[in-house]
Amino acid sequence: MVNDNYQILTILIFLPLAAIVPVMLLRGREGLCKWLACSVSSIELALAGWLFCLAPVLPSASVPPPGYFIRQDFPWIERFGIRYSLGADGISVLLVLLTAFIMCIAVLISRKAVTKHVAAYHALLLAITGGVMGVFLSLDLFLFYLFWEVMLIPMLLLIGIWGRGKPVYSALKFFVYTMAGSLLMLLAIIGVYLIHGNQTGHYTFSLLELLGTTIDQSAALWLFGAFLLAFAIKVPLFPLHTWMPDAYADAPPAGSLILAALLAKTGAYGLIRFAYPLFPTAAALLSPVIFALAAAGILYGSWVAYAQHDMKRLVAYSSFGHMGFIVLGIAAWTPLSLSGSVLQMVNHGITTGGLFVLLGMLEERADTTAIDAFGGLWGSIPNFSAFFLLFALASAGLPGLNNFVGEFLLLAGVFRVSPWMAVLAFAGIVPVLIYLLRMVQKVIFTQARTPLGLRDVSLREGLVLSACAILIVALGVYPVPLLDLVRAPVQLISGGPGGLP
Amino acid sequence: MTMADVWAFMPLLIIAFGILSVLLMGAFVPGRSGTVAGMVASLGSAFWALQEPPQTAAPPLGIAFTPFSRFFIVLFSLTAAIVLLLSHDYNKRRGIGGEEYPAAILFATFGMVVLATATNFLNLFLGLEGLTFAFYILTAIDRNCSGSGEAGLKYLLQGAASAAFVAFGIALLYAGVGTLEIQAAMNAVMAGGGNVPIAWGGWGFLLIGLAFKVSLVPAHLWTPDVYQGAPTPVVAFLSTGSKAAGLVALVLLLTALGSGSEMTRMPLWWLSLLSMVLGNLAALRQRNLNRMLAYSSIAQMGYVTLALVTGTREGFSAVILYAVIYTAMNLTAFGAIASLSGEKRMDEINEYRGLGFSRPFQGGMLALAMFSLAGIPPTAGFMGKFAIFAAALGGGETVLAVLGIVTAVVSVYYYLRIVATLYMQAPEGEEASGGASFPEVAALCAAAFVILLLGVYPGPLMDVIDAILG
Repeated sequence: MVNDNYQILTILIFLPLAAIVPVMLLRGREGLCKWLACSVSSIELALAGWLFCLAPVLPSASVPPPGYFIRQDFPWIERFGIRYSLGADGISVLLVLLTAFIMCIAVLISRKAVTKHVAAYHALLLAITGGVMGVFLSLDLFLFYLFWEVMLIPMLLLIGIWGRGKPVYSALKFFVYTMAGSLLMLLAIIGVYLIHGNQTGHYTFSLLELLGTTIDQSAALWLFGAFLLAFAIKVPLFPLHTWMPDAYADAPPAGSLILAALLAKTGAYGLIRFAYPLFPTAAALLSPVIFALAAAGILYGSWVAYAQHDMKRLVAYSSFGHMGFIVLGIAAWTPLSLSGSVLQMVNHGITTGGLFVLLGMLEERADTTAIDAFGGLWGSIPNFSAFFLLFALASAGLPGLNNFVGEFLLLAGVFRVSPWMAVLAFAGIVPVLIYLLRMVQKVIFTQARTPLGLRDVSLREGLVLSACAILIVALGVYPVPLLDLVRAPVQLISGGPGGLP
Repeated sequence: MTMADVWAFMPLLIIAFGILSVLLMGAFVPGRSGTVAGMVASLGSAFWALQEPPQTAAPPLGIAFTPFSRFFIVLFSLTAAIVLLLSHDYNKRRGIGGEEYPAAILFATFGMVVLATATNFLNLFLGLEGLTFAFYILTAIDRNCSGSGEAGLKYLLQGAASAAFVAFGIALLYAGVGTLEIQAAMNAVMAGGGNVPIAWGGWGFLLIGLAFKVSLVPAHLWTPDVYQGAPTPVVAFLSTGSKAAGLVALVLLLTALGSGSEMTRMPLWWLSLLSMVLGNLAALRQRNLNRMLAYSSIAQMGYVTLALVTGTREGFSAVILYAVIYTAMNLTAFGAIASLSGEKRMDEINEYRGLGFSRPFQGGMLALAMFSLAGIPPTAGFMGKFAIFAAALGGGETVLAVLGIVTAVVSVYYYLRIVATLYMQAPEGEEASGGASFPEVAALCAAAFVILLLGVYPGPLMDVIDAILG
């Protein structure tokens, strides 16, 4: 039995899940619940940070598969060849760190915002943490699917119970959309499993063993199509995005944050980890389509974002456009573009997440996020406005801030494969700049419309926002540690030598 | 009668003795001791069946005591025990008294056990009709509710028709091959001995009759009305025990038939497709929770049939696994509904608004059952669906599997609508309250434990099922 000494991966997944029990038991004492959720997510962040710092140098009892730092693996349901198999490579470690960071923020920004069913709310946040961690760490297709679904239920309840607007409608729409994709993916997973089993006589769901399966062209196209559908809905990729504006806008602040910063990433991660490596020929064949859809998404997202009157919807569409860039980088499938995409996944998580945090704070104060309701915020709440400006500029891709690095890398990678696509995507950056600046200008700089009497950021909020801001600047200036971590797995996955500048 | 015969008969004897003692006790100490006596009898038969028989002898009088039948004796007996627990307080609230209730439950269990141990067609028929007969009584037992009587009559009329189909099918099979032994008859049919066209005709009639029992479209018409009218714990038993018994009959016949034959594949293929499509689409439109669950159970049986279509060993083991899981899910769902119903029944879905917070235990149980029925991990419903679809794809039924998955997406919507009603909508009028009684808590916790356990660790049960298929 290959059972590498480190239980840290299991702890990362199951600590938050285990913490649900005490949180629910203490449901009468809300302060204690908040405190418990907060400390568990801090421990998660510390563990993830430890993994990030030490992963490359950890000694290992047995040799993990190439590219991976840690692996945990033992049989689970032997009849079907299902194993409890976890592993962390550079990409996983980065996303685990992002998850822990975002969940910390999600807990912190909910301290005041949530007033009803506090214990249940925090239990759900913890459940999402466990599910997303599991998605990023699973190396068994069955286990991956399990976590993929497990993170959906708490999200459904989070939107439905604490949302505003039409929460039930948005929550069910989100859930049914995602289930439609993932159930077909389940069939495809079983399909790969059976094809591999029939070829080798060894039935297994282990990703590393399934990677070498030879699948004939037509079957591969169907199977890849099913995987692509599931991940494209989650990302979301044009034209499967119609659940997104409703869910993003109606979710509570922490919900929008998690949807945009984490759940969208699980879709992109699935493409990188599962869909492309399992079906390389089908992926190569379909990549023009994916290119086209991603580019269409970038342009369409910008165009629609420009027409929005509500800031949450505007940021939702801008996030949709940015995810188009990430998918573009994945579709190019070169080491350079892939590193750009992975880096951009982290960057997008922080900037868009930060914007949603700000909008959540605004919503908490003024009970609306309509653009017309605000104006001249720079005069009344300067600290808030400064953060708002910074995050918006980062989101627009200002050089020196984090998004620029990722977009630059992935567009450079795309340019080598398909110059026209890169040019088109580059043109897509311009409208992003326009609508973001328009929003910033209207909300922060014009004359104050109605005196709202807003309060500036509190210490707790300032802490959260400063953490985001520091990361935005730091990753914009010095992204090397992240790129170092990503280099090896990206080369192994894409099968090419590294082309990092 | 040898010792081996006594061993084989013992579960039946225990239950029969239970029925008699419940009825007799009613004459001397009228009251509510029926529940206890019934539980003792059903648990006793379950424990007996758990034991390994000392020696295997030729089955006497068409009663087998094989691992297969022992497995189902345990399942049916435990289901009956849980139903008795759920009924105890429900009946008190609804004013359903008398010893006939626990006696009828035990009698239905008796029929199920006979069915599970049957090795010839006569016993199969007796078991099937015995249990259906008990359900005619149970469906109509709530005299304070006019819907109950109506449902009983509807069930009786359609049930009689289905009994006729089964009996006629058996008669034709006998005419065709000249034996009532299931294994011998099926061997003769496959080998082409005797008058094969007549035998296949008999097989067709038998299939229609059994489709009625497990409510497959187009033999499903009774299901929504009966689910709506019958007392809720009875529906819990009807939708689990009676359905599982129908599946046992199908598995017994199909495994005896051996490797899948084109003659059985096509009718099952269509029954499965129609049930999945119609059941799921009709469930979308329902306002009454019991009716919705009726259509949902039609769809669920469509999924099970999907695994039956393959005729493979994996298919049959998926069917049995799903029968167990489905039993736990529906016991939890109807158990929660029964526990929520007070003097007035909870019928409309709208009445469940906000109950997830005002009555957290029952609401949570209902939500768990809905997630499991929708097939969302980490519940057992997901494991069951996974096994079914893996078996279907492995058996080459790709088209039907894809169509089934598409209908499953539809089903997610109506199951989650219930969860949304429970947790995301404000209650109308004053807040309902009231916890569950101790028997209800025990029964619901047991069923929910099975759902969660099989959802994360189904390995041991799968091994057992593998073993009983021989």
